Amino acid sequence: MSEDKIHPVDSRNQEEPAPRERVSRRDFIKGIGGFGLFAVLGGNLARGLLLPDDVIAFPASEGYLLVDSKKCQGCNTCMMACSLAHHGVQNLSLSRIQVNQDPFAAWPNDKSIEQCRQCPGAPCVAVCPTGANHIDAANGNVRRVDANKCIGCQRCVAACPLGQSRADWNFEEKHAQKCDLCAETPHWTSKGGENGDQACKAVCPVGAISFTKEIPLQDDRGYNVNLRDASWAQLSYPTK
Amino acid sequence: MHDQLLFSSAVWLVWAAPFLGVFAAGFTRRRDPHISGDKVLRHDGAAILEHWTHGVGTAVLLLSGILLGLRFGFTPSFVSGKDIALWMNIHFVAVIVFLFGTFYYAANTVLSSHRFAEHLPTKNAFQFTKQHYGKLLGFKFDMPAEDKYFESEKVAYLLAVAATLGVIVTGFVKVVAHMVSVPGWVMGPVSLLHDISTVAMLTFFLAHVFFAAIAPFSWPVLSSMFTGYVSLEQAQHEHAGWYARLRGDREQEQAESEERDVA
Repeated sequence: MSEDKIHPVDSRNQEEPAPRERVSRRDFIKGIGGFGLFAVLGGNLARGLLLPDDVIAFPASEGYLLVDSKKCQGCNTCMMACSLAHHGVQNLSLSRIQVNQDPFAAWPNDKSIEQCRQCPGAPCVAVCPTGANHIDAANGNVRRVDANKCIGCQRCVAACPLGQSRADWNFEEKHAQKCDLCAETPHWTSKGGENGDQACKAVCPVGAISFTKEIPLQDDRGYNVNLRDASWAQLSYPTK
Repeated sequence: MHDQLLFSSAVWLVWAAPFLGVFAAGFTRRRDPHISGDKVLRHDGAAILEHWTHGVGTAVLLLSGILLGLRFGFTPSFVSGKDIALWMNIHFVAVIVFLFGTFYYAANTVLSSHRFAEHLPTKNAFQFTKQHYGKLLGFKFDMPAEDKYFESEKVAYLLAVAATLGVIVTGFVKVVAHMVSVPGWVMGPVSLLHDISTVAMLTFFLAHVFFAAIAPFSWPVLSSMFTGYVSLEQAQHEHAGWYARLRGDREQEQAESEERDVA
């Protein structure tokens, strides 16, 4: 590209066309920059004014863990099984299901099992800026974290509406993690996921954890249920 | 409850900044180095703007990026909780400044390609560097006729270009991941390359700051990054090759001017 001047046509040879005016490098640079700016700003304006607001709707999970905290013995076997199945080590801090024990509370209300509720609204998925925490359609729409895409912002941890966040920070592998209904358990030979088994449920010695495909009532009563049958009354357990 | 992440809410700025830099370059008129009395113009206004936007952007990017990146390493996390979003937003602001400065420089270089050429090392790179720093260390070497940029600086420039390219390309992919779903098998290597480019950039940055700002023998030239000028004596002594080139240009201009007057 150069800034050639326009040459006047030679009157003796009317057939020779005048050379076109060329675009200089400077004009090209201005053009590229200006067009790019226009495209970005214009696109942003159009997006804001013309496109409707995004509506985020997540498909419901096809599986939910239900627990009976009053039945729980506080043995922590579920926590060890969870960390073992996912990470190959028994580490209560790496478990995606947590059992809390309150020494000041009266039995049988002294323990609580805090499992991920696979929320229909999935706030942990909604706030993830990179889609690391996502709806896994291949595994029954379970809400799970792709560790390779996690940038460690921990917004999912902050977003969990439950008192103890069900999304937590894996301090060893440096990424967020959460219950995936055992969809990905490299250290467990059983098939997990919404159509398979869950390690915590499989190992619980008293059957305080169960699984359902129906969406539970969206409060504590829906997820913390009564799994005690009449035989538990013989042990002086409340069965209601 | 949820801190605003600028990488998600203001991502359009990441795409606008480079184009703004290119657009600004289209309207920039450069002043070539020349001898002016007892001083020499080393850096014009555009060079000063390019340098400080790119440089300050780099400095803040390195600080914020390393703080954020160390959460994934073998060190304790220096940032956690709400601080993570704060430092990511600081990183974002530095990205905008850095991209503007870098693309402003790149576009100016397209318009004045001879400026790029004078940044590249020549066949004298090893010999000049040995003589130059050998003399500083006390060996009996003659000061080589260095050009505007020392040969050692020209070699370091290659590292800076490679690091800048690496961090920008991988950074763009990481920004795109905030807009569309990028597969995890892509993000893993991209993040690793971003880390490697960061280390390369940090290496260049530390060396550059030491040799250009902290070492006392660089202070006369450091002022030129603010005022644009170096003393004639500095140019003659430290950049004899450049000084000779400028004098040759001036004499050629004077000769051409005399020819025009005669004509």
